[in-house]
Amino acid sequence: MTQPVLTATGISKRFGPVLALRDVAFHVERGEIHALLGINGAGKSTFIKILSGMIQKDTGSIRIAGQEVDLRSPKDSIRAGIATVQQHPELVHDMNGLDNIFLGRESRRPGLFGRVDRKAMQSRAEALLARFSVPLDLAREVGSMAAVEREAVAILQALADDDIKVLILDEPTSTLTDVEREDLFELMNQLRAQGISIIYITHQLEEVFAIADSFSVFRGGTCVARMSVADAKASDVSLATMMLGEAIGDIFPPKADPDSAGEVVLKVSGLASASKFSGISFQARKNEILGIFGLVGSGCEELAKAIFGVEALDRGEIEVNGKAVAPKTPRDALDAGIFLVPGDRRTEGLALDRPAVFNVPMANLRRAAGGGWALRGRSVRADSKSLTEQVALHPPSLSTPASGFSGGNQQKIVLAKGLYTQADVYIFVEPTIGVDIGARAKIYGLMRELSETAAVIVISSDCDEVFGVADRTIAMHKGRQVEPGSGVFNRDALLFAGIMGERKQ
Amino acid sequence: MTVLKQLPKGAGRGVAFVVLVLALALAFALAEPRFLTHASLSGIARHMAANGLAALGLTFVVIVRKFDLSIAGVAAFTGMSMGAVIAAGYPLWLAIVVGIMLGAAIGGLSGFAISKAGFPDIVTTIAIGSVCAGMAFLYTGGRSIFQNFFQSGITDLNDARFLGISVSLWFLLLTYGIAWLVMHRTRTGLAFYATGENPTAAHFSGIATRKFIGSAYVICAIFTVLAVLLILAESGNAETNKGANLMMPAYAGVFLGAAIMGGTSVISTFAGILLITMLLDGFSLMGVPYYYSDGVVSLILLLGVIAFSDTIRTWAGGFKLFTSKTKRTGSVSGGQA
Repeated sequence: MTQPVLTATGISKRFGPVLALRDVAFHVERGEIHALLGINGAGKSTFIKILSGMIQKDTGSIRIAGQEVDLRSPKDSIRAGIATVQQHPELVHDMNGLDNIFLGRESRRPGLFGRVDRKAMQSRAEALLARFSVPLDLAREVGSMAAVEREAVAILQALADDDIKVLILDEPTSTLTDVEREDLFELMNQLRAQGISIIYITHQLEEVFAIADSFSVFRGGTCVARMSVADAKASDVSLATMMLGEAIGDIFPPKADPDSAGEVVLKVSGLASASKFSGISFQARKNEILGIFGLVGSGCEELAKAIFGVEALDRGEIEVNGKAVAPKTPRDALDAGIFLVPGDRRTEGLALDRPAVFNVPMANLRRAAGGGWALRGRSVRADSKSLTEQVALHPPSLSTPASGFSGGNQQKIVLAKGLYTQADVYIFVEPTIGVDIGARAKIYGLMRELSETAAVIVISSDCDEVFGVADRTIAMHKGRQVEPGSGVFNRDALLFAGIMGERKQ
Repeated sequence: MTVLKQLPKGAGRGVAFVVLVLALALAFALAEPRFLTHASLSGIARHMAANGLAALGLTFVVIVRKFDLSIAGVAAFTGMSMGAVIAAGYPLWLAIVVGIMLGAAIGGLSGFAISKAGFPDIVTTIAIGSVCAGMAFLYTGGRSIFQNFFQSGITDLNDARFLGISVSLWFLLLTYGIAWLVMHRTRTGLAFYATGENPTAAHFSGIATRKFIGSAYVICAIFTVLAVLLILAESGNAETNKGANLMMPAYAGVFLGAAIMGGTSVISTFAGILLITMLLDGFSLMGVPYYYSDGVVSLILLLGVIAFSDTIRTWAGGFKLFTSKTKRTGSVSGGQA
């Protein structure tokens, strides 16, 4: 084989008392898609930040095509040929795709002759676009683009600089639908064909086998393994085991005994809302997790929001513990004993600048005030402490702002907030987006625990998640509910029902 | 160093504030010996009462992450309204009630337009403030109102003392005490803060965010009325430009206090307004014209915000100019993958 395009040896990085990276050895070949795996805290983000010049390594060396490089700033990294697309690409939503690509280039390359003229940029961007057969209209405003189109714009923006050899994609698929993901993979394949190497971070292990040529696994601040995907397939290794360092059986908790399902807690019948969904009827019981599988646009997230009183409901009845309720606001829903773990925890679930002790009591201030007006500071603190322990928040800090936690631990704070409300019905929407495998297992386990005292509904566009965690499943397709003909869905039938909108014959 | 580490979180900021106050007092006392006289100090106390009330009202609006730029206009209109009621021979309490009702109505209008109708806060309050400033001229066409002021007893609000301290300062301390209890010790306060931190998440948590945003504007307008009332009491007449000098100290107090204390709170506003009032009164005692002193105070506000902002300190930390404390807390999130 030829010389690797990127080689890192002996990379270490210390943050105060924490040794975030320890003697990392890593390399990427020319024109390969290399997946970077590891649970949160394994050090992969720190490593990526070093490669992209956002932070500086303490020791070690980085070589690009055999040349040692000194990456002191993002500009240095780009000059060396390493471009990075962040997990949430920062694009200007009011500008069109072309201007966004142009903007990134301009800000990164203050040329000798000042600003490059617009026309030259336009033809340059068109030439760039011509290299890839991406069906992308760059004249459209970024704000009106789908998630995958934005990702493509961000990738083109990163590649707009000359001679990019290594492209780093940080969890690009976390906000994409299955169909969009295929489009992104297509673009990645084209990049690979042109000799660009891609370092690809993902939590979705099946994607590694679908797209990557090789992968590295980070654990405890160092790179513990590097393998080609072909070898991994042949030897049947478990990526999850490599990431966690120990064998875990299933990340899903054991299923409930079908006969043990308890009393009906939530009963909805004939729910309909404008053009989003109609004719939705189901029951959710104690000791049973109900799963609803639906793609983006199937109306299942809107259904959850309608039950929670965030969005309007045109028709239908909702009963909680046999009592009819009609939530017009989240307040009504919470009073009726319904809690929603929202799909977008950063905007809908958390005050990000505030610590757990602020977020946990937020949805039940009545309890925080002991039924009166004055807050019971001590009991709020004690409850927050015990609930964050129950959800295994890591690090177990009540005073760190929510933004300082990983995605999985932010979700655990939302969960603790839900537990504080002592609701009778818990609805989870896309509960594990951006959550690493260790935290996912914990969250699924908590759902099972919760189901002992409350009805639990899991709504997700990830079929394996719905099938894995739920005892009983239904699918939603274009606002309609699809139920198994008799008995229960198996995994393939559920997937078919959610994608095609009909029962598999 | 070890002693410093044992202090509760935020104590450093409190110490910084006390040091600032003492340094400022010392500087003014050296520059102008009259600064520490009884007359000067009681003047500061009275001015602090007026500035402090306006700043306290503004604090509620800033906590829900909005702006209210109608303070000057509201003060002018309600001030002239109260003057007109007094001049017509009605008792003082009625004038105050009328002022508060007008303030509540104007604040309610702003609050409704911004929270329910979704109007942009800055444009809306500038418009409402301008309309109010114009309406202040309705009563006399712009002439000063002073009839009946001495008979009505309004000047007692300025002159009366209790235990040697002017009643207006007592009133300020009382309102700050109540506001502190409400904002930091009740669920209403938590809801105000939650609304400001993330209105969507607060809505999803069952908090009636619109109600809290709307009432912040009502509270702000009512406190503006009380502030202008003290200004009328001090000057003994009502003029259309009486509220003009409330807005800058109020904003400066809220934001300088927040910068020093690391967040907007009733206590931070109190700290900010104390500093601002000392500065303004100190300068006026030294004979600095108001158009210079306003500029200097605004500059100090800007420097204060810069000196206490986390971004700047993190940046400065890179040059080892400031304590290493900020760097260490930064590593907690840095260690996350």
